[in-house]
Amino acid sequence: MTRWGMVIDLDRCTGCAACEVACKSENNIATVSPEQADLGRTFSWMKVMAQVNGDFPDTTMRFMPRPCMQCDNPPCVKVCPVSATYLGEEGIVGQIYARCIGCRYCANACPYTVKYFNWYAPEWPETARHALNPDVSVRPKGVIEKCTFCHHRLQRAKEEARSDGRELQEEDFQPACAEVCPTTAIVFGDLDNPRHRVHELKQDPRAMRLMEELGTEPKVYYLTPRA
Amino acid sequence: MNSSVPERAGRVPSRPRPLVLGLVVLALLVAVAFAFRTPPVAQPVAFNHLNHTTDLKLDCLFCHKFVNKREHAGLPDARVCGSCHLDRAGKSAESRRVTALLTAGTPLRFNKLVRLPSHVYFSHRRHVAIGQLKCAQCHGDIATSVVPPSRPLVQIKMKVCLDCHQAKSQSLDCVACHR
Ligand code: HEC
Ligand code: HEC
Ligand code: HEC
Ligand code: HEC
Ligand code: HEC
Repeated sequence: MTRWGMVIDLDRCTGCAACEVACKSENNIATVSPEQADLGRTFSWMKVMAQVNGDFPDTTMRFMPRPCMQCDNPPCVKVCPVSATYLGEEGIVGQIYARCIGCRYCANACPYTVKYFNWYAPEWPETARHALNPDVSVRPKGVIEKCTFCHHRLQRAKEEARSDGRELQEEDFQPACAEVCPTTAIVFGDLDNPRHRVHELKQDPRAMRLMEELGTEPKVYYLTPRA
Repeated sequence: MNSSVPERAGRVPSRPRPLVLGLVVLALLVAVAFAFRTPPVAQPVAFNHLNHTTDLKLDCLFCHKFVNKREHAGLPDARVCGSCHLDRAGKSAESRRVTALLTAGTPLRFNKLVRLPSHVYFSHRRHVAIGQLKCAQCHGDIATSVVPPSRPLVQIKMKVCLDCHQAKSQSLDCVACHR
C-alpha cells in the first residue's frame, strides 16, 4: 500500500526558503496585512524554522523546513466533528474545505501547529491575483487549511500514468517544495516502496521525527545534522 | 341589539380552512423551490445538436475538441461553425442568422450548463478516453437536442459521482476528487 512521506536532510538545508516560496505560489496561499501578521495570522504550509545557537560573534544557525507531518495517527483527525480532516487511503491527511465548519479544534489539537484558519476572505497583491494556480481551490473565509503534499499533483500524475498504462513512478509525483529544493534536502516518495529513495533514507541512523513520543507517527522524517 | 350578538358570534369562528392553508403552504414551497433552482443558461444561437450529430454525422470531437485529451471538453467557437456556415447561407432562419453573425465577425460564446465548484477535480480524459464512458451517462440525451437546453438534462451532484464510483469500484477517497 502506498504511504506518501518525506525525508528532509538538515545537513543539506541552507535555509534559502525556496520551498516556502514555491509552496506559497503552488498552493494559492493568501497574503495577510501587517496587522494580521502581528496577530500570528500568516499562512505558511511550509515554513523554514531558524534556530540561532551561541552568542555573537560565535553563532551558528540551523534551519528546519516544516510542512504538515501527515501523521499516521493524526490528533487533528480525532477532534474533527465533521470528518472534514481525515487520514486518506495513501496516507495524506486530507482537508476538505467544503466540509469544514471552521471550529478550529484541529488547529488546536495539532502539536506541530501546521493548521491555519482563514479569518478573512483571502487577499493577494494585484499582480499575484492573476497568477493563481487553477489546480488548487482558493479557500473561503472560515475554513482551516494546511499542507496536502500537493495532492492536486497526485490527481494529475495518476491520470497521466493510467493514460500511459504504467505504474506511478517516484518522479511522477513530487510536491512543489521537493521539486524546487536546490540542495535536494527534501526527498519525497512512497515510504513503503523499496524503489523510492525515502524508503531507505527513513532507515538512516540519523533519521528522527518531531515529537515522536506523542505517538502521532509523522510521515515526515528529518536526518539530523552530523556535526 | 341583543339579537345581533349571537348572529355575529355565529360567523366569527370561521377558522381558515385546511384546504386553503394547504394551498398557501404549497404555493410558498413551490415559490421557494423555484427561487433556488439553478438559473437558466442562455446561448448566443439556437444550436441544434440533432441535425449536426445525426444528419451531418459530425463527431462530438469536432466541436468538443479536448474531451479525450484534457480535463475540460471545451465548447466550439465561431471558427468551428464558420467552416460550413460562412460559405453558404442556410435554409432555416436561425441558420441564416448564424451566417450573418459569422460574416459580421461576431464571436460566438457558448455557455456551460454544468459547472463544478473549483474545489473539485474532474477530468473528461479520465472518464471518456480512459474509462470509456458514454457522454449520455453523465449528460443525458443532449446529442439529440434540437434547441440548447437551458438547464442540464442530468444534474451532476457528488452523489452521482459516488454512486458510479461505488458501482465500478473506483476511488471514494475525498482527496481523489477534492482539491
Ligand atoms: C459540417 C458543417 C457544419 C458545421 C461545422 C456547423 N454546421 Fe450548423 N448546419 C449545417 C447544415 C448543413 C445545417 C442544415 C442546413 C441549414 O439550415 O443551413 C446546419 C444548421 C444549423 C442551424 C439551424 C438549425 C435549425 O434547427 O434550424 C444552426 C442554428 C446551426 N447550424 C448552428 C451552427 C453552429 C452554432 C455551429 C458551430 C458550433 C455549426 N452550426 C457548425 C452544417 C454545419
Ligand atoms: C457542430 C458542433 C457540435 C457537435 C458536433 C457537438 N456539439 Fe455538443 N455542443 C455544441 C454547442 C454549440 C453547445 C452549446 C449549446 C448547446 O448546449 O446546444 C454544445 C453543448 C454540449 C453539451 C453541454 C455541456 C455543458 O454542460 O455545458 C454537451 C454535454 C454536449 N454538447 C455533448 C455533445 C455530444 C455528446 C456530441 C456528440 C454526439 C456533441 N455534443 C456534438 C456544439 C456541438
Ligand atoms: C463521468 C461523467 C461525464 C462524462 C462521461 C462526460 N462528461 Fe462532459 N461534463 C461532466 C462534468 C461533471 C462537466 C462539468 C465540468 C466542470 O465544470 O468542471 C462536464 C462538462 C462538459 C462540457 C462543458 C464544457 C467543459 O469542458 O466543461 C462539455 C461540452 C461536455 N462535458 C461534453 C462531453 C462529451 C462530448 C462527452 C462524451 C465524449 C462527455 N462530456 C462525457 C461529466 C461528464
Ligand atoms: C458513470 C460512472 C462515473 C461517474 C458518474 C463518475 N465517474 Fe469518476 N471514474 C469512473 C471510472 C470508471 C473511473 C476510472 C477510469 C479508469 O481509470 O479506468 C473514474 C475515475 C475517477 C477519478 C480518478 C480516481 C483515482 O483513482 O485517482 C476521479 C478523480 C474521478 N473519477 C472523479 C469523478 C467526479 C468528480 C465525478 C462527478 C462529477 C465522477 N468521477 C463521476 C466512473 C465515473
Ligand atoms: C468521486 C468524486 C468525489 C468524492 C470521492 C468526494 N466528493 Fe465531495 N463533491 C464532489 C463533487 C463533484 C461535488 C460538487 C457537486 C455537489 O455539490 O454535489 C462535491 C461537493 C462536496 C461538498 C459540498 C457540497 C455542497 O453542497 O456545497 C462537500 C462538503 C463534500 N463534497 C465533501 C466530501 C467529503 C467529506 C468526501 C469524502 C468522504 C467527498 N466529498 C468525496 C465529488 C466527490
